[in-house]
Amino acid sequence: MSDAVSTQGSIPPTQTERRNGLGRLIARSEVLRGYLMLSPAMIIMIIGVLMPFLILVAMSFWTRDGFDFDTTLTLTNYGRAIDEPIFGAFLARSFWVSGIATVATVLLCYPMAYYVAFHVHRNKMLWIIMMTLPFWTSYLLRVFAWKVILGYEGVINSSLLTAGVIEAPLEFLLYSQTAVIITLAHAWAAFAILPLYVSLEKIDRSLLEAAADLGDGPTKRFLRITLPLSLPGVISATFLIFIPTTGDYITPALLGGPDGAMIGNLIQLQFGAVNNWPMGATLSIILMLWIAAVALVFLFVTRKSKESLI
Amino acid sequence: MDIIDNLNAVKRGKLSRRAFNRSLFAAGVGLFSAPLLPRRAMAAEGDHPTFFTWGGYDIAEIYQPYEAKHGVLPNFSIFGGTEEALTKMRGGFVVDAAHPCNVGLKRWVDSGLFQPVDTSRLANWGDVMPELVAMEGNDNGAGRPWMVPFDWGGTSITYRTDIFELEGEESWDMLWDQRYAGRLGSLASGGDAWWCGAIKAGVDFKDIASDEAFERISAVMREQRPLIRVYTDDTTTLEQALASGEMAAAMTWNSSAVLLQSEEVPVKFAKPKEGQLTWVCGIMIHKDAPNLDKTYEMIDALLSVETGQFMINDYGYGHSNLKSFDAFDDETLVSLGLSKNPAEILGEGHFMIPQSQDWETRMNETFEMIKAGF
Repeated sequence: MSDAVSTQGSIPPTQTERRNGLGRLIARSEVLRGYLMLSPAMIIMIIGVLMPFLILVAMSFWTRDGFDFDTTLTLTNYGRAIDEPIFGAFLARSFWVSGIATVATVLLCYPMAYYVAFHVHRNKMLWIIMMTLPFWTSYLLRVFAWKVILGYEGVINSSLLTAGVIEAPLEFLLYSQTAVIITLAHAWAAFAILPLYVSLEKIDRSLLEAAADLGDGPTKRFLRITLPLSLPGVISATFLIFIPTTGDYITPALLGGPDGAMIGNLIQLQFGAVNNWPMGATLSIILMLWIAAVALVFLFVTRKSKESLI
Repeated sequence: MDIIDNLNAVKRGKLSRRAFNRSLFAAGVGLFSAPLLPRRAMAAEGDHPTFFTWGGYDIAEIYQPYEAKHGVLPNFSIFGGTEEALTKMRGGFVVDAAHPCNVGLKRWVDSGLFQPVDTSRLANWGDVMPELVAMEGNDNGAGRPWMVPFDWGGTSITYRTDIFELEGEESWDMLWDQRYAGRLGSLASGGDAWWCGAIKAGVDFKDIASDEAFERISAVMREQRPLIRVYTDDTTTLEQALASGEMAAAMTWNSSAVLLQSEEVPVKFAKPKEGQLTWVCGIMIHKDAPNLDKTYEMIDALLSVETGQFMINDYGYGHSNLKSFDAFDDETLVSLGLSKNPAEILGEGHFMIPQSQDWETRMNETFEMIKAGF
């Protein structure tokens, strides 16, 4: 150890150093040490995310040949995705359903997060836990629970029937886009409450006091201080809900009915019954690109509006 | 360095850091590889076959002779549809036996993943109905079958006798009845629905691969689509909807009607005047089946009379062992839509004809488009 200390500036390649070359290099170089600590996660990312993604990209340029693949690269699948109206229509429907669900979730969760951040002073953690309690059960169970609530003999229909409000059960509640939107808005609520709460909690209370001192009423104070400062939370909540729900598979499959199917169901069919993996890969890539584009536009718009707000 | 040495070293206070690290490393490797060991040990002891089958076939009642001999059931892996199962097996999933149906037989055989069955190893083979063995494409060319027929039945309409007002005879028109728009249900898989559409459109199954057949069937399926409340492969969903009155009629297999009747829901499994859709399913053995001997024992158990009686009584399906039917009188069988003479039922109905992979893909694509509203 003593010679390591004494030769910190220029390192003569002594006998001992050559023997422990690698160990020393790692000990000395911060960059290498960093990569070493990252490596378990990076290996998993490469094997579990990057490789499958590259396979998906490659496959999207192949075509199906019976049960096998024709591996000559072609744009046929992309052409089909543009030409045939079914793919565009499913994509549009997915964005529509998931967009409405996202807006509904953020609008419903904002007041909840606001209340806990500003008006609850003791046991905040308990409140947060209570709000996220339903999310301790499986996603599938929550979807099934909505089937029970919205069903033909479900909670809503039976109570309305008993109250005499309706004569026959409401059929639009289940197996429709409405059912998918309601379920998505509930099932992803935890992903909105938490980021919204964190961003609201961080707001410096003295700014609000200052605004009040300078004559802003509650509405103006909210619009000029609270909302712009909580926008990062709103944006991350929007992304956290919009991105996964666009490709959601199980909710439309169980609750959507014939008119509620989304792009995720179409992709599943390509890998399942239709047995056209390259087409499924193409649709996945297109979905990914569209989500990225929509996200970028959204980011740009919110940044602009935030600038104008402040 | 073993454990005793280490312990002694600790006692003497002389465990070096290097030695300590080495034991930690050994412990880590041990922990990491521990999950691999019992699995191997179990495989060595247990070696029971894995049966890749539909849900509902993983119950003790239909493996009684096997369970009596070995004290345990075979292992199960469950699929939702044969297309999914074949895709998975082509991807390298090895099981001992799988449970396809006659319509997929040719494509399953073509995949090269299966071995012909040595019928001399099956004690119950002599009682198996020859009509079922003689299905198209089942002979390997050397007198051995690829698939051991096991269960057979029909796809037809289960309807609520108290809700659905029948006009004239029972017919496939019931599932196209405008009066019940939004109160009709259908199986989602083209493997059933498309063929029923062919019956409704009056397409002969021999011509089902022609372009004209595709057009005619597509037309009737498009006509039906706005009337359908939900397409699903989950028979429980259809059964519950029929039980609650959400649906007046739905396309189902025999078992749904039998189940609902046993719960005293007023339903009937229709005998449409155009004939019902009939199918036969059976067992195929994987070419690399790891437990071949016990696989034969398992198949023999499935062919046994005990199993057959359970299948007929509790599921309402036909069984391939002729002797299973002896315990039932003709009246019971007729009420279940079965007969001791399967040729009678299969002849009355429309027996699915195996098709090529291209046809299967085209049909699925077309049907999915129609279900999606295009």
